[in-house]
Amino acid sequence: MNMNLEPYEAHIKVLQEEIAALQSQKEKNEREITMHLGGSMKNALLTMAGIETGAETRKSLMEIKAQLMTEIEELEEDLVRQTKMNGIALISCSVKTLEKSSSKLVQQYRLAGHCSSLNYQVEFVLSDVQVDAMSERMITDLNIIMEATEFKDFSTFVSRVEDNGDLLLFFRTIRRFSDMCEDRRRTFQHFQEKYPDVISLPGGCRSEVMLIQVPKLPGCSLTISWALEVTDVGEVIPKIDLVTKMPEKALQMDTRKVMDNAPESFQSLLKILGVEASIEALVQSVLLNM
Amino acid sequence: MEEPRKDVLGHLAMLEMKVNHFAVKQQVSCEKEHKATIQALLTKRDQLKSEIKTTTSLQKIRTLLDKTGVPCQRDVDDLDDGSENSQLLLLMARHTQLKDLLYAHHLIGGYDVLLTEGKGVCVSMATAYESLYLETYNLEVKLGPKIRISRHNIPPFIPLEMLVKQENLQTDFSAFLDTLSQYLNAYVGRRQQLNFIKENHKSVQLMETNAFCTILVLMLTVPGKDIAVLCTLEYNNHKRCLPTRVKIESKDTVLPSSPQWRKNQALFLETPVHRALVTLKKTGSIV
Repeated sequence: MNMNLEPYEAHIKVLQEEIAALQSQKEKNEREITMHLGGSMKNALLTMAGIETGAETRKSLMEIKAQLMTEIEELEEDLVRQTKMNGIALISCSVKTLEKSSSKLVQQYRLAGHCSSLNYQVEFVLSDVQVDAMSERMITDLNIIMEATEFKDFSTFVSRVEDNGDLLLFFRTIRRFSDMCEDRRRTFQHFQEKYPDVISLPGGCRSEVMLIQVPKLPGCSLTISWALEVTDVGEVIPKIDLVTKMPEKALQMDTRKVMDNAPESFQSLLKILGVEASIEALVQSVLLNM
Repeated sequence: MEEPRKDVLGHLAMLEMKVNHFAVKQQVSCEKEHKATIQALLTKRDQLKSEIKTTTSLQKIRTLLDKTGVPCQRDVDDLDDGSENSQLLLLMARHTQLKDLLYAHHLIGGYDVLLTEGKGVCVSMATAYESLYLETYNLEVKLGPKIRISRHNIPPFIPLEMLVKQENLQTDFSAFLDTLSQYLNAYVGRRQQLNFIKENHKSVQLMETNAFCTILVLMLTVPGKDIAVLCTLEYNNHKRCLPTRVKIESKDTVLPSSPQWRKNQALFLETPVHRALVTLKKTGSIV
C-alpha cells in the first residue's frame, strides 16, 4: 500500500504562495492608511477580521464601538482646541508611507486647509531617521499651493520656503499675514460703516484700497492704500500710503500746497497716532472742510 | 530443519509486515500532518483576506471622509452593505483621520494644547531650522482669574517674563505664543547655523559665542597671503536668525574696505552664516 502525498504537498505550496501575496497586499494597504494601532483601534480591527471569518472575539462589538466613540469625541475636542489656538485650520490630511524599516520611516503628507480666508495646500515628505537613539526628523520635497490672490505676489518667499523645506516658517508667516489682513478688513469696515457718505471700498472690504470722496467736490479724492508685503525671510510689513487726486484747477488754488504735502504729513501722523487714529483725523479734516 | 527455516522465514515475514505497517502508519501520520498544515494555512489565508477587506474598506471610507470633510452615514452605507460593520468602519476611519490631523498640527508647528489636572493647560511647540525639526518646548499655564506660567523648559536667556508682560497673556494668549515661538525658532536656528559651521567649516576658527547665540566671532584666513580676518556677527534682533550688524577687521587695514570684502559683509547680513561661508570659499575670499 502506498499513499500519494503529492496532492497535499502541492496544495500546501499553492496556499503558501497565496498567503505570501496576501501578506504583501496587507502591508501595502497598511502603508496607504496610517494605522495608529492603539488599544481600541486594534480591538476594532481584530473584531472586524473576526466577524468576517466567524471566529470568536474577545470583546463585544458594542463595547468596542462605545470605546471608539468616546475616543473620537475626545480627539474632536482636541482638534477644535488646537485649531482655535493655532489660528490655522486643517481640513484634510492624507499620509502615505514610502519607506519603512526599524531605523527609518519616510512618509508623504498632503495637507489642505485655511488660515482665516487664505486657502492652502501643502505636500511634503517627512523622514524620521534614528541616529544614536535620537530621532532626526526632516522635511523634503515641499510643495505649496496658495489659492488666495492676496498671497500671489509672494512667490519669492514661497519658492524660498519650498527650497529650504521651511514648513514651520511658512505657517508662521501665513498666520501673521492673515491676522494683518483681518486687522485691515476690520479697520476699513469700521470706517465705511461710520462714514458711509464719504468712504467707499471699491475693491471690497478685503482689498488694499479705501477711498475718501466728498460728494460736493467731484474729481477730488483721497485714497488710502494699505498693502502688506512679505519679505523673503517671512516678515510681514504693512505699507500704508495716502494718494491724493485733484483737478488741475483746484490744485492751482491750493497755494499752501496742502494736497501736495498731504502724503508726507499722513506718514508723520501714522508714526504718532497709529493707523486708526490717523485715518480718523484725516476723515474729520475732510468733513470739516465741507 | 524445517522448523527453524520456517521460523526464520516467519520472522522475516513478520519483520516485513512490521515494516509495512510502520510505513503505513508513518504515511497516515504524514497525511494527518499535511491536513493540519493545510487547515492552518487556510485559516491564515482567510484571516488575511478579511483583514485586507477591512483595510480596503477603511481606506475607501477615509478617502470619502477627507473629500467631504464630515462623516456622512449615507455615503458609507452606499459603499458597504450598511450593516453593523459599516458603522464600525466609519468610526475607525474617523479615528485615523483625527489622529492624522492632530499630528499634522504638530508638524506644521502648531501649539499642542493639553488640558492638565485642575485649571491649566500644557502647551508644547515644535521648533525647526529650515527643513530640520529641533527641540519641542513645553510650558504649563495655570488658568483662572490671573493666567500665569507655572512650569516650563524654555531656556533662561529667552525673556519669558518680559514677553508675558509685553504681549498681555491675559487677553491674547495666541499673540504671546506666536512671539515666543519666533524667539525660540530664531534661537534654535542660530544655534543650528553654529553647528553647521563646526561640522562643515574646519578651517574657520570659532573665537567667541554665547549661549543665546546672539554674538559670533569667527577667525577667517585669506588664501595665499595668510592674512587673518576677524568677523564679528551681532544678532540684536532676537526674533531673527540673520545678524543685524557685521564687523570685518584685519591687520591688513585696507582689506575690510576693499570691494570684495564690502560685498562679503553685505552677504553676511542677508544669508545664513554657514551658507555665506560656502560662498566666500567658492569666490576665493577665504581658505
